[in-house]
Amino acid sequence: MAKIMYIEALKSALREEMRKDKNVFIMGEDVTRYGFGINRGLVEEFSPSRVRNTPISEAAIIGSAVGAALRGMRPVAEIMFADFIMIGMDQIVNQAAKMSYLSNGKLSVPMVIRTPEGTEWCGGGAQHSQTLHSIFMNIPGLKLVIPSNPYDAKGLLKSSIRDNNPVIFFEHKQLYTQKGEIPEEEYTIPLGKAAIKKEGEDLTLVATSWMVKHSLEIAEDLKNKISIEVIDPRTLVPLDKDTIINSVKKTGRLLVVDESPVSGGVQGEIITVAMQEAFWNMEFPPRRIGSLNTPIPFSSALEEKVIPTKEKIKKEILSMFSD
Amino acid sequence: MKVNREQKINMYRSMIRIRKFEDKLEQIYRDGKLNGHSHTCHGGEAVAVGAIEALSEKDFIFSNHRGHGHFLARGTSPKNIMAECYGKVTGTNQGRSGSMYLVDTKRGMPVASGIVGGNICVAVGSALASKIKKDNVVTLSFFGDGATNIGFFHEALNMASVWNLPIIFLCENNQYAEATKREQHQKVKKISDRAISYAMPGITIDGTDVIKVYETVKEAVEKINQGEGPILIECLAYRLLGHSAGDLGIYRPRGEKKEWGKIHDPIKKYKKQLLKEGILNLQEIEKIEEEIQEEIKEAVRFAIESEEPLAKTVGKFVYQEEVNG
Repeated sequence: MAKIMYIEALKSALREEMRKDKNVFIMGEDVTRYGFGINRGLVEEFSPSRVRNTPISEAAIIGSAVGAALRGMRPVAEIMFADFIMIGMDQIVNQAAKMSYLSNGKLSVPMVIRTPEGTEWCGGGAQHSQTLHSIFMNIPGLKLVIPSNPYDAKGLLKSSIRDNNPVIFFEHKQLYTQKGEIPEEEYTIPLGKAAIKKEGEDLTLVATSWMVKHSLEIAEDLKNKISIEVIDPRTLVPLDKDTIINSVKKTGRLLVVDESPVSGGVQGEIITVAMQEAFWNMEFPPRRIGSLNTPIPFSSALEEKVIPTKEKIKKEILSMFSD
Repeated sequence: MKVNREQKINMYRSMIRIRKFEDKLEQIYRDGKLNGHSHTCHGGEAVAVGAIEALSEKDFIFSNHRGHGHFLARGTSPKNIMAECYGKVTGTNQGRSGSMYLVDTKRGMPVASGIVGGNICVAVGSALASKIKKDNVVTLSFFGDGATNIGFFHEALNMASVWNLPIIFLCENNQYAEATKREQHQKVKKISDRAISYAMPGITIDGTDVIKVYETVKEAVEKINQGEGPILIECLAYRLLGHSAGDLGIYRPRGEKKEWGKIHDPIKKYKKQLLKEGILNLQEIEKIEEEIQEEIKEAVRFAIESEEPLAKTVGKFVYQEEVNG
């Protein structure tokens, strides 16, 4: 198995799906130039018609992806930073997410919006660093994918492109250069299937995206004290409730870690899902960690205070076993 | 580009169908018999009928909240549209839309947008698909004067222009954006001037003259089929009723509606023309109107007698189940 970077895994998924299906095409701002290098080389192979640089017009990028999808294409629209999705919000919420339902299933919108989210290595600040996926959990009709490593990124992106629904694919910027093993042969990962990244007995630690990396390191650090089960939902919609519930029933303790601000975030949703089924198995109240309810500040000294860090997660875990 | 006799008569029938449908629907709403929002298109009949008559079956149309006329002009049965307004299972969307988000996938009409301007970028995507597939399909996007102030309009025209996409942007300028008169919501004299910013042709025509609308759109379609890019067509019309059912339009200057109604009612105008040209005589016109009146009556009966959708279907089709490949 080859070890490749997350961005290479994404590129590999795009290339394979574009070779397989001529209806798949990419569009977005400077996709052949920036895009964290993910699309590099694709325009040469597939022509500028299928790898399209667009004007800075997020509503038109997302809206036209919806329209192209309605006509049988499979657009992969890249939004340069997740923060910029807000300009095209209507096109996602009022258009893409409604087409299937309003047409009684006669219309489908097979499109993917790929977008980097989360804090950066260089300090993107308030409008380039947000974690916004929780917002979309409240919109029926969308699927949300949030892969935490190169293997998942490739398998899930391929499934997202083949899915007949609008999918938003969130990539944490800190993961782009992470390396992981990828098999030579083709594979896909179904949407709606969580991964138990590490088995354990004492605590269910549900973590998403970049937080999975922290969580696995903590599980290793604490292995002699606490046996931690690390679960990565991989997709927020559909959410693999069973895997989470079964784990919580086994461990009796739950901590959910996600970079979204905690208020109204995915953390609370996952806790509710688990508590409705596993409440009587609990040995300790469920806990959640997310970003503080503040915008993301530029200064590293401040940014570190806002986002969940490895130290914060570890401290929280230890507090759940303090008795 | 010549319009033959049969086409002319069909266009008249179609305009009458729209008017009578909308008259009836407005009445039903005013009587308090239906819930929801209904935006009738009194005064816009020539725009809907003329533009759609100029398209071929394979072409795609993106409609808006004021969309009954577009669907009727395309051939969607008044029964199914009326049933949709009643929220019945026999409606175009099986009761999931109501008046605003009609759909007719068999006739190249995806879900209409209830968000003003919300469909313009989506229509651009349809044109983009045609460009990539080289399928010679033309896309037409309907919107009103109010929609030309929203960002979607500008992003869409710019993108379509940069990529030379096969799309007709058709603005029905009915002089009002909801309750705001056009001079109060935009300063441009002609909406078609906005095309200049996007280096595309823009023209303003009399949107109450169905033949003029037909000829203009037909010419645009032909040019697009020869490889020309997008065009903005502004059709001047007048919204003869309020923004939505129950809006009596008290904000209009005194006499304005009367004047427009007298001179620019597209149906009166076209009727006069047909009589003058000897295409139809008064008796024939009366017969058409009676037939359509019956058709609309039947549509209401059909809607009332149709079943409600089954409650157990409420969660269906939020998502598509099948996966590609």
